[in-house]
Order: sequence, then structure tokens, then C-alpha cells
Amino acid sequence: MARSRIWQYFVLSVYAAISIPGILCLWPMPRSLKAGTTSLVLSTSFSIDLQVQDAPEDLQQAITRTQSYLRNDNLGRLVVGRGTSDLGLLQGAKELQSLRVTLSNEAGKARSISSEATAPLGSRSEEYSLVIPSAGSTATLIANSTLGLFRGLTTFEQLWYTAGEATYTLEAPIRIIDSPAFPYRGLMLDTARNFFPVSDIKRTLDAMSWAKINQFHWHVTDSQSFPLEILGFTEVAAKGAYSNSIYSPEDVKDIVSYAGARGIDVVVEIDTPGHTASIHESHPEHIACYDSSPWMTFTNEPMAGQLRFASAATTNFTAGLIEATARMFPSSLFSTGGDEVNLPCYQLDVETQRILNATGQTLQQKLEMFVQTLHGGLKGLGKTPIVWEDLILTHNVTVSNDTIVMVWSSSSAAEGIAAKNLQIVHAPSDYFYLDCGAGEWIGADPDGNSWCDPFKTWQRAYIFDPYENLTESHQHLVLGGEQVLWSEQSGPQNLDSIIWPRAAASAEVFWTGPTLPDGTPRNVQSALPRLYDLRFRMVQRGVDAIPLQPLWCALRPGACDLMDAVKVPSPHDR
Amino acid sequence: MRAQINMVHTLQLLIMMFFSLARNSAFALWPIPPHITAGTTPLKLSPDFSITTTIVSPPHDLVSAIQDTQSRLKTDKFQRLVIGRGASDSNAVRFAPQLDKLELVFAPHAPPVRSIAAEATAPLKARSEWYKLSVPSGGSPAAQLVANSTLGLFRGLTTFSQLWYAYGTDKYILEAPVEMEDRPAFPYRGFSLDTSRNFYPMSDILRTIEAMSWVKLSILYWHVSDSQSFPLQVERFPELAQKGAYSENEIYTTDDVKQIISYANSRGVDIVVELDSPGHTTGIAFGYPDHVACANKMPWSMYASEPPAGQLRIANESTIAFSKELFDSVASMFTGPMMSSGGDEVNLPCWEEDADFVRDSIVANTTIPEALDRFVQEIQGIIKKRKKMPLIKSDMILTHNVTVTDDTVAVVWQSSADAVSMADRGHTFIYQPSNYFYLDCGAGDWLGDDVPGVSWCDPFKTWQKAYSFDPYANLTASQYHLVLGGQMPLWSEQSSPENLDSIVWPRLASAAEVFWTGAALPDGTSRLGKNATNGTSALARLHELRYRLVDRGIKAIALQPHWCALRPGACDLDA
Repeated sequence: MARSRIWQYFVLSVYAAISIPGILCLWPMPRSLKAGTTSLVLSTSFSIDLQVQDAPEDLQQAITRTQSYLRNDNLGRLVVGRGTSDLGLLQGAKELQSLRVTLSNEAGKARSISSEATAPLGSRSEEYSLVIPSAGSTATLIANSTLGLFRGLTTFEQLWYTAGEATYTLEAPIRIIDSPAFPYRGLMLDTARNFFPVSDIKRTLDAMSWAKINQFHWHVTDSQSFPLEILGFTEVAAKGAYSNSIYSPEDVKDIVSYAGARGIDVVVEIDTPGHTASIHESHPEHIACYDSSPWMTFTNEPMAGQLRFASAATTNFTAGLIEATARMFPSSLFSTGGDEVNLPCYQLDVETQRILNATGQTLQQKLEMFVQTLHGGLKGLGKTPIVWEDLILTHNVTVSNDTIVMVWSSSSAAEGIAAKNLQIVHAPSDYFYLDCGAGEWIGADPDGNSWCDPFKTWQRAYIFDPYENLTESHQHLVLGGEQVLWSEQSGPQNLDSIIWPRAAASAEVFWTGPTLPDGTPRNVQSALPRLYDLRFRMVQRGVDAIPLQPLWCALRPGACDLMDAVKVPSPHDR
Repeated sequence: MRAQINMVHTLQLLIMMFFSLARNSAFALWPIPPHITAGTTPLKLSPDFSITTTIVSPPHDLVSAIQDTQSRLKTDKFQRLVIGRGASDSNAVRFAPQLDKLELVFAPHAPPVRSIAAEATAPLKARSEWYKLSVPSGGSPAAQLVANSTLGLFRGLTTFSQLWYAYGTDKYILEAPVEMEDRPAFPYRGFSLDTSRNFYPMSDILRTIEAMSWVKLSILYWHVSDSQSFPLQVERFPELAQKGAYSENEIYTTDDVKQIISYANSRGVDIVVELDSPGHTTGIAFGYPDHVACANKMPWSMYASEPPAGQLRIANESTIAFSKELFDSVASMFTGPMMSSGGDEVNLPCWEEDADFVRDSIVANTTIPEALDRFVQEIQGIIKKRKKMPLIKSDMILTHNVTVTDDTVAVVWQSSADAVSMADRGHTFIYQPSNYFYLDCGAGDWLGDDVPGVSWCDPFKTWQKAYSFDPYANLTASQYHLVLGGQMPLWSEQSSPENLDSIVWPRLASAAEVFWTGAALPDGTSRLGKNATNGTSALARLHELRYRLVDRGIKAIALQPHWCALRPGACDLDA
């Protein structure tokens, strides 16, 4: 019930042609794709023939998973009748017996998917080529790296539907040549506001890999809790975590290796110098304005408390903590955060003011020294630092040229970062924040709204233009982007439903780029049926992705568009 | 946690301690009973704790409820929401006296004993949910639960099971003795679920009913069919579900319905089924296309509020006969004293431009308003014949001015402001206002290509918004008796089993307390007003409920960071 009545009189007679061939239900859409119209069935004895010398274990396991998905996805085509009408077309169809998986001649010795996935951002090869002949002869998947092979396997899994006993496609032959438009395609999870057990993180990593998302940005700590156990700094989590809610070094290894085997690099963030009140529990000496009230003066959300970065001891402590954390993660990237630093916190902090007076330096100079010290430590470990935009745009901190800046306050902030010639990862709250729109969570505020209201729909995320407002000469600075879940109102109970399938929207933005294989611009009308396929596969694979519409709409592509573009099949058709 | 010591802070600390004492564990109940007193003595359940009753041959569903409560008291692992999660209570609890027994007693002069199911499906105003619960401080004599009906005993058992915190193997309270007397402010406390836009398997519905009973909701309003699908098996019209359900696996069979009814009724939940009509009926066209005008007509936005278009041919004699038989058949499947014929969002161009409808109206020599009026009367006649009170959506009365029977209950949905017009017409009504209670608002537009679109009833309705609802706002005292209660609905365009729990819980509990507890809290302060939703009153208790729901297997979402849940008031706007 209950759409506004104005729609009853809001008629657009725009009739756009929308073609929705079944084969195109891949997500993200490959960069280059050709398909035919011949039916092809997966043989009951179908096998994947791994022709890679000394194939690494994680590649072998990936193949086992692919075989399991092919058996168990059981996805009926999303049309009225769920593909039962396809059975006739499958009579006498050729059977595909095997997929040959090989590395190209240019590829060197096979390395694990993990090591390929955690290589420096610009040096990874995710490219692959997948050919499926219509005659039933062997299909082939070729890539320059095991990571590319893994991406190709993910695509291969998405090609097939099930009807009756048959697993089939209607569009052989298929030829795909694919590689991502951007190297950084991420998802950020905040595990400090509320805690997520390792099993939830692993399930999320699986789902990410199905959409070829390759960066797990782990905002692991914040002011509310510090769940990461860091070797040499174990007291910080012991006192700063919610009880029984700690990621041990073994958990971290487990998560990193699970992610790596799925083509995902884990970028950990220790947010500093703000968002650190939880460090007070173990190190009160390093935290200024701890629990000062009213909190609103000292922080963007309860509770107040920030690292006293003007203090050399605090800077040393933080640098040590960051370096120890960095050693736990194989990634070449590491985020030191830097968002929402609150100045009144330091203006009223006696110790900070004493230091500033004694040294004759400004708060800004001290902040710059702090950031540069942390980044110096990271460089010593061969890591590239990532920061939130505020350090650059608000606090004018000088960072090294290779620093990656995450834009979050608004998509329009990217321009300012580009003007400083720094690399950009897009995480704009006006497009990509998954938590927006759930109402105010602060108590005693019955009429309050989500600060970044409204809810960011998949459509909203999908239309994001990575090059918006950037000059052509600045476009090379864009590394990619990520959707973001801040967890004030999330926990294991709604993790899947708040993330999926929405977070797949940016996965296609940054993999496929602006155009579809036929040269037309990406658009929400043709995306929706494909996104549905991904959503139903996710549900089938145990991820609680939400329905985007009534099932009635999912089975009738275009019928629930506002533009009334496609004629609805008669109800008698089903 | 609050360690900074200065004068102002110490004062704040003292004030906080005062309030946190006032908010003792016995008050961590949802909905809060209007009358409650508590002491300061720890008490724990004996390992041999048992629940007995003086009722001779108690009805089967009461026996089951007693068993469920006993087993829940064992399996609940919810720990007190304070820093340390009750560790600081452990010393007090170790040496606390033990409670051996809860005794269920029928009040003197109570009417004859009937099953919970029978009491829960009695006429709305005839139900007795009153109970009195006494828990002694010394462990003896037995705790006692008194009521006038098995339904009252069931409500009391629900409260009793909410009293206890777990620590280690102990189940304890810190505030014995506890005395409370409890009854609902309104008889109709509901949840409306749409099972047509997307389907929910039986297990989801049963789980939801059970959770509803934990917050003393009394009505599941089942919006079972709509234009997208018709999942209800109706014996006289088998093709409705055979052809109109999403698949053969997405049908509520007559056996399923019996199971849902029995499961709900024995948990104090009455089912009000809604067959939305004459709009929202294209689901009927799959099986019976002749009865639906403008089915699937495009552009849909001319003919319906959402796709697909289609409404019953209300001027057609054969359609009227079909509809009456359908209502009669569905009414006969349900035990409750109420049934809804819906009636929202009727679209006039659908009929005006439909050739069949135009022919029907010429043949019958009738206009749309006349046909609508007659259709509603015919349907209400059938509902009445089945001895049920008819419910109808408010726009039928306020927009289309149809004639309804005197005992009709209107469902006020478009806006809370409509209540005044409804009351001025003298109709009894329940609240389901989209500006306070719609659980689906705020998730963005679901139309495929509407990129800038937001939810039509944006923004998201927070628990605080729902909780701040005043059932008597803008009404005169002489109109108060017209308010029977209210319900929060979930329209399922963007919901399914994957997010059912998380979109419903714990928000639905807001309305449960609005309509159970009424205007005042046990200490006499207003449940409404400035401080209603702050962290030291409702929110602290709602957090407890949420963690208890999660402990019992409901995926209720976090309302705040866990940090806030452990520190009542610390995450308030003015903290």
C-alpha cells in the first residue's frame, strides 16, 4: 500500500528500448563481452581442468568453490515461470564437458591468489579471458595471474541458470575479455561501534568476492571500543574492547588469509588522532578531553576523547602502535584515519596548551608532525599511507605525494584533493554511505534524522561518476572507491541486509567503468535485472541480501520502472 | 567510567546514580506495567524452580505456556546491561535467597476457566488481560500470579520471564520484593504484515508471532493478498493461490493457516485477516481475470499507486457474488472476532477508462460512488454474517464517503491527523499512521529507474518517533473511547525473510508500549513529553528488550553502539 497519490498523475511517455538478454546477468558487467543465441548445458560430469603448474593451494580451493556454486546455486532464471519455459530450448542442446584453466605464456611462475591480491595497487593483474564455445567443446579461461583466473571463475559461476535438472545458458558461444576500470574497489566495515564476529566478516568477504570487490577497508577501532589485539600493545584491547569482543592475532591471520584467497586485500585503519577515546581505558595519559561533556562540544558523537598528539610521548606511543598493527597485515596500504579531529578538545586541554606554549608551535604544526611521524613509520615498512580528506582539506596537513586520500564528506570534496595532486579513493557520504537513512540514533531526539539522510539507494550509488568535477589531467588520480558501513545502528543482526545487494553498486561502477560492452552508457534500467541475479545468488549462497522490489517486479524486468517503459506481460503468462 | 572528579562532575554523577537506582532491574520490562513497586533485596531462582497452578485441569495452551516459560527461564542468557554485564552483581547473588515456586491462581469470582486461545479471540473489549504479580523477597512463600483469565495469566508469565538476568548459571533480580498490577490501556495492539509483495515462510511468521507475544501485542493484522501475488489457499477458489502465488512453495495452505492461528491464539495473539478490496486485487486476476478491471494496464502510474494496476469490477454482479463468497470463505478460516476488507488507495481512472467496467456500470445503471458504496455494504454484510466486526481503511470513509456499519473499526493510516475527522464522524478506529508507524519508510524508492527518488513516506520512522505517538492527540475527552489502539505495519516491497527481523525489531515494541502502558509510567510521570525517549527511561529498557530478543533468536538491530547501551543516558542529545 501507500505510494503518494501524485504518481497516479505523473505519467512519462518516454519509451526507451531496453534489451535484457539473459546472458548479460553478470555483475559486475565485463568490459568486453560477445554472446550468441545457442543453448548449452553443463554436463553432469562437468569438470574444471586446472592446467597450471604447481597450482597454489588457494587457486585449487577456489576451483572447488566454483564447482560447489555451480552445483548449488540453483538459480531459476528471473522470468515468469522461473525458466521452466526454457526446458524446450534445452532439448538436444550440446553439453559443456569442461573448463580449462590456464595461465598465459607471459605469466611467470604461478603465485598464490593471496600474494597477487596484496601486491601494490598498481601492480596487480586481474585481467582474464573466458571463451565458451557453443559446440560443447572445452571452454577456456586464461589470465596473466592466479588473481585473474579467480576473477574469471567468479564470472563463469554467474553464467548459469537451473531449470529442472539442467544447468544451462541460452547464449553460447560466449567470449569475455575483462579487466577492472579501477584498481581499488572496496567495502568499509566499522567494527568498533558494534562488534562483528569473525564468521560475519568472512561471510561478507565471500559476498564481496562474488562482486569482484578487492579491498576490505577495516575500520577496526574507534572511540566506543578497541577490539584489535595488537602484539606489544595487548592492554589496549584488553581494556578497550567490549567484553568477549576481541580480534586476536590469530583471528586477524584467519581473516587476512580468507580474504587473500578470495582476491581481497585487507586495508586496516587505526583512526587517529580523533576517534580514539577507547585507548583511554589502557592509556589515560594519551587521551585529551576524555568523556568531556557536553559531548557535542568535543566530538561528533559520544564519547569525547582524542590522542594528545602535541605530546611527544603520545606520538611515539601511537607510531609504535601503528607499526605493530601494520606488521599484522600483508597489505601495502594502511590507513591512519584522520577524520573529524575536534579542536575545542585541545583548546581546553591543559597539557596540550602547556606543550604548545613550551614549544612555541601551533596545533596545526603539531598535527602535521604527528601525521608525518606515523607515515614515516609506515614507509619504513614499505606501506603506502591512506588518510581521510579532513587532514588535507580542513587541517592543511602536508603529506607525501604517494598518500591516498579518502573523500567522504561529499563527492564534491574530490576536487580539492585533486588540486593538491593527491590520489583519491571515493567514499562520499552523499552516494556511498550504507548507514544513512536509519533515523537518529542519539537518544532523546524523537524528531531527529540520520545526519546523512536520506537512505542511499543502490540506484544512487550506481550513478556515481568517479570523474565528476575532475579535469582530465586529474582523472589518473582516482584509484577507485568504496561503500561504507558505519555501525552505530548495525550489528550481526542486520549486517547482510544493510550491505547487500547495495554494496555491489559501486563494485560495478569501479570495475565496469562508464560504458557497457556494447558501448552504451551504464544505466539503472539495464542494471536492475542483473543486480537481481546477484541478489538471488547471494541469498542462495547464504547471504541475507534484501529484495529490492516485490518478487513480481523481479520476474518482469522493467515493469516496475517509474517510466513505464516496458509493457507488462499479461498475468496469464505465468 | 566517569572518572574525572570535579564538583560539577560529582554532582552529575550523583544525579546519574539517583536515576540509575530509580531505573532498577525490575523496571527493565517492556511494556512497563503501570503499577509496580520494588525493593532492594537480591533474589535468585532455585535450581528446582517450578511453576504450578491451582487451576484444576488447566487448558492445554496454559500448560504449554507454563512449560515454555520454565524452559525460557533456563535457556535465557541475557545479562544485565551495565559495564561488566552483571559481574558486580555476582557477590550479592551468590548469597541471595532462592525462589522455589511461582503459583498461578485464578482470582476469586473470576469467570470459568477457558483456554488462552478462546480468551484471545473473544470480542476485543471483552478480553481480560489484567494480572497481579507478587515476588517475595525472602524466597518464600511462593511468588504468586493472579488473573481473571488464562490470557491474564499468560501476560503475567511473559512479565515474569522478563524479570530475570543471567550471570553464570544464576538467574537473578536485585530488587525483591516486587509487586505489580498490570493491564493494557488499549485492547488493540497490533502488527500488520504484508505477505503479498514478498512471501514469508511459515517459520518467519511463527517466529514473529512469538516475539510479538513477548511484548504483549494482541493482534496480527495479516495483509495476506495484494496486486503482486495471492498466497492464501482458499478452498472454494483454489486457483487463487495455484495461479496467483509466486510459486507452489509460496502458498499458505489451509493447514498452514490453522497452524498460524493456533500458534498465535495460544500466545495471546488474535489474527485479523485483511483481504484488501476493491483495490490491491490484481493478484486475483491470475486465477480469476474476469473479476479485475484495468489489470496490468500501463502506464501503471495512471491506474494504481504502484505496479501492477488492477481493481475488482465492483459494478459487476458476478464479481460482487464472487467477492462475497471469497470473503465468506476466508472469514470461515479464521477464529477471531474481526476481519478487514481493506479499501485503501482506490483509483478512479482504473474504472473510468476500463471498457468492462463502463459496460458493467451501464448495465447496472450505477456510478462509481454508488457501486463502491454497495460493494462495501455487501462485503461488510458477509463479515457481519460471520459474526465478525468489520475493519476498513480510513480512505474509504474519509475520501470516498462510503456507508459503513456502525460497529466498523476504521484503520487510520494516511496521517495521524485523520484521526480527528474519524472521531468527528463518531467511528471507532485504530491507529496505523504512516507518519509515525510505517516500518518500511526511509529505504529509498524501490521503483527501478527512479534514481533521485526517496521513500514516499520518508524519513525512516525511528523507535523514538513511534514512541512519541500520543493516541489522544487533538481529540476531545469525549472522543477518547473511540480509540481502540493501534498497529505498526510492514509493507513488504523491500522486505522478505532476509530482513524481516531487522526491519521490525525492536522498533515494533514502541507501539506495544504506547498502547499497553498508556500515558503514565509507574512513577506517575508522563510516558510522553520531552524526556520520554532519553537513555535513562524508555531507551534503557528498550535496549534490554533488544538484547533479550537477540538472545532468544530474533535478529533485532542495534539501536546504538553497544557502548551506549551499557551507559544509560550517555548518548542522549544533551548528555
